[in-house]
Amino acid sequence: MNLMLNILLNVIIAFLIGTILIGLQRKIMARIQGRPGPPIIQHLLHTLKFFIKESAFPKTAAMPFYVAITAMLFVIWVAAVIDGPVTEGSLLLIFAIYTIQKIGEHNAGSSSGSPYGKMSCVRAVYSAAAEVPLFAVLIIIYLKAGTMNISSIINYQSIHGPLLFTIPLAAIMFFVLILSKSQYSPFAITKGKDIVSGYETEHFGLLRGYLMISESIAWYMLLWVFLTVFIGPLSLPAYLIGMVVLSTIVAFINAVTPILNPNHSVMMQVSLAFIGIAGSIVLLMI
Amino acid sequence: MDKLKIISWVLFIVSVGSILYALIFNPASWIVYAIALVAIPVSVLSFGFIGMAKGNKEEEEGKRREPFIGY
Repeated sequence: MNLMLNILLNVIIAFLIGTILIGLQRKIMARIQGRPGPPIIQHLLHTLKFFIKESAFPKTAAMPFYVAITAMLFVIWVAAVIDGPVTEGSLLLIFAIYTIQKIGEHNAGSSSGSPYGKMSCVRAVYSAAAEVPLFAVLIIIYLKAGTMNISSIINYQSIHGPLLFTIPLAAIMFFVLILSKSQYSPFAITKGKDIVSGYETEHFGLLRGYLMISESIAWYMLLWVFLTVFIGPLSLPAYLIGMVVLSTIVAFINAVTPILNPNHSVMMQVSLAFIGIAGSIVLLMI
Repeated sequence: MDKLKIISWVLFIVSVGSILYALIFNPASWIVYAIALVAIPVSVLSFGFIGMAKGNKEEEEGKRREPFIGY
């Protein structure tokens, strides 16, 4: 298949599936909380609605950075799609993309001049605590499989079975990372409702819709990486089932937990990382 | 046509043109990656700026007034 066509199709699929999964999460959370909830396509409808709305630029916005940062967030997740489903490249690049996502959240919050954005900008730095378990996961995968290349990890799993069963604590740490990226999660401090919409507060209209497209692709990619790296070679229906299952589990957790305050969120993630790292090393030595 | 619309049209035409070039001529992989990374986000953003709603000129100043920065 033509490479550009492959990339375009994967980006479109990532956006569509990601946005439906986010909508599914909200539906499940609502049902657990005894509410009917929005339709599953609501996130997609919101994205399209915002995309055609006027985007005004605040006087205190650092232009053109205020607009460019939203494009940067889109660029990195297109890069993730290229590194993941298209080329099955390096897991280290996924780590780098996740780090740049944090930087993007930080700068999106600070670029508008709003105090809510600034507070989210500070919390984005706090939320880099989620990178501790991610880095540990990468090291443990490397120690187990001897590689950080996604296609080599897939080959390793087709011979030795899913890494989910051999390094389960690493899988749990990566799941905590996925949880931290989901909406209304206990670790979602950058977009907590106590700071309105966090770093997105002053990005409205078209730019908000644009950010929502990036979030949908990001959600799809995080689930894709988890399923590929910890379960192995999967068919497309298996990927879809796996993503629905993961989104459902995340929705259950998010529905019954409050958003933690930033310090508790950091301590919880770092604590889980230490337990995961120590336990994984012990399991590797046995 | 205001400055934003002109810039958006230029960026849209250039980005879609480069995507079409990559689709039709299938250049080297690194060129395709570079085009995909830049052109896909720019084309979506510029398309959004071209198609987004535009308010009245009288209301524009009110929308751009400084956000609350009391502390």
